[in-house]
Amino acid sequence: MIWIELATDMSLDNLRDLYQQVILERYKKPRYKGTTDPVDRHQKGHNPSCGDTIELTLKLNESSDRIDDVRFEGEGCAISMASADLMAEALRHKSLDEALEMVYKFQSMMRGEDEFPKEHRKLNVMQGVAQFPVRIKCANLCWHTLKAAIEAAQSAEPAGYVSNE
Amino acid sequence: MTLAQERTLASRLRADFPILAQDVHGKPLVYLDNAATSQKPKAVLEALQHYYECDNSNVHRGVHTLSARATDAYEGARDKVAAFINAQYREEIIYTRNASEAINLVAYAWGLNTLQPGDEIILTVMEHHSNLIPWQLVAQKTGAVLKFVELDANQAFDLEHYKSLLSDKTKLVAVVHVSNTLGCLNPVNEITNLAHQYDAKVLLDACQSLPHMPVDVQDIDCDWLVGSGHKMCAPTGIGFLYGKRDLLRSMPPFLGGGEMIADVFLDHSTYADVPHKFEAGTPAIAEAIALGAAVDYLSGIGMETIHRYEQELTLYLFEKLNQIPEVTVYGPQPNADASNRAALVSFTTGAVHPHDLSTILDQSGIAIRAGHHCTQPLHRAINAQSTARASLYFYNTADEIDTFIQSLKEAIEFFSSIFG
Ligand SMILES: Cc1ncc(COP(=O)(O)O)c(C=O)c1O
Repeated sequence: MIWIELATDMSLDNLRDLYQQVILERYKKPRYKGTTDPVDRHQKGHNPSCGDTIELTLKLNESSDRIDDVRFEGEGCAISMASADLMAEALRHKSLDEALEMVYKFQSMMRGEDEFPKEHRKLNVMQGVAQFPVRIKCANLCWHTLKAAIEAAQSAEPAGYVSNE
Repeated sequence: MTLAQERTLASRLRADFPILAQDVHGKPLVYLDNAATSQKPKAVLEALQHYYECDNSNVHRGVHTLSARATDAYEGARDKVAAFINAQYREEIIYTRNASEAINLVAYAWGLNTLQPGDEIILTVMEHHSNLIPWQLVAQKTGAVLKFVELDANQAFDLEHYKSLLSDKTKLVAVVHVSNTLGCLNPVNEITNLAHQYDAKVLLDACQSLPHMPVDVQDIDCDWLVGSGHKMCAPTGIGFLYGKRDLLRSMPPFLGGGEMIADVFLDHSTYADVPHKFEAGTPAIAEAIALGAAVDYLSGIGMETIHRYEQELTLYLFEKLNQIPEVTVYGPQPNADASNRAALVSFTTGAVHPHDLSTILDQSGIAIRAGHHCTQPLHRAINAQSTARASLYFYNTADEIDTFIQSLKEAIEFFSSIFG
């Protein structure tokens, strides 16, 4: 395949870092699409300039301080959708405080300054995005939306869109 | 592949555009984002440089030599723009920052002061946000009602639907000449003629036609027309409004300040005649002069010549794109001589999202646009959240189309290969 023949090409190496197999698989066959039952938190987010949207729902434990389940609906590019799917997986059974810390860690990873420890190393496949500054907001969209979902007053009502720009 | 007119046009003129002779990610730049903004020829860059090196001064204010030169060049550019669109009078050209500002000028100076509750404004679903939001604001303030012409079966302007919307309540028809997303060329002579039968005014958004084909305001008989310099080889920061002279004279000022006055007292003022009534403050002098240089450059090639070559490019582009089964194109297919559409195409591929496609093509030096192209309602109407868009200009070649098509196929293959 042409792609492989050109493997020595620097820019194509970058592309391969960006579109890792895991990312394309999650884009095509997401595992966490849908809506949680029940919906304890509900937040919509979008990137107005490109039109990507995401709708995040969270199911919390009884004391409302831990995430039992995360699901997303949305439309967007491979980067934004795969990022959401990987995020949903990583958030299961995390406390809200831990989840917030992960938001900050992800954002610094996008600046090329940090990466996740072993436990969450799957999220590190998103590191290639840091090479593509214009695409960072795609990867960040779900995390940005999560932050709003956590910080919003306890409510299952969608609180309008948060913008990631 | 070399197109028939290419040897005489694109290959000769490319050298006029220094920016095109560069590599991006190690590949020759293929610039296919001309609907967003065009590149600038040396003649335009030199006009800017010359102005600042030799003539820089404020206009209409000094009696010294530099001021006279700057004023002559600034007003001279107005004559060039007037001739370019065949305006009857030079005063019919008002400089603005861009097309958006020109539309806002009409919306505020005419719309807010003229429209009454229940009056109707006819737009189309394919309008750029620039020709939608100002009218939404005007409608909210005046109680006027917005009506929208829909797309026909070919995803082009639905003339029958337009006719059904026209009535005595119609006060304005504001419509795009060439859609920046669908590429269709709208039947503006007929649109204007029909609107005038109801005494409605017509505003034409000519952003995507002016750079690519002859546009004659007297032939079309539109009441206003707007254009952006940066899409037609001129710098950013300069655009213009054309308006019929009597109509412009009847409109109150938009912005107040220096340059636009006749006599100023503490409690009231009288205003300059058009066009200066609408040009408050120190204008974008260098940019206006460079717009004049751009118009000279385009006229030197000939808008007919440019248009004919771009029609050839359109046919070649569609011939190639139509062969890729995964590609869905939006807007009408070109007719036999591509006289129904412009050399731009918005499309999606089943496998690759437009943003991913744009990133992948960029790695091969190919610049395309991805997103909603400031036509979100249109994207809803064609049921696409976002599209990729390749938009060409007279300096693009068939070889560049080949490079684009090849990279597009590779991107589709790459994304599809994951699941075999
Ligand atoms: C059809 C159309 N109308 C209006 C505009 C707005 O032009 P500007 O942003 O220069 O005001 C554009 C360009 O983006 C356009 O393509």
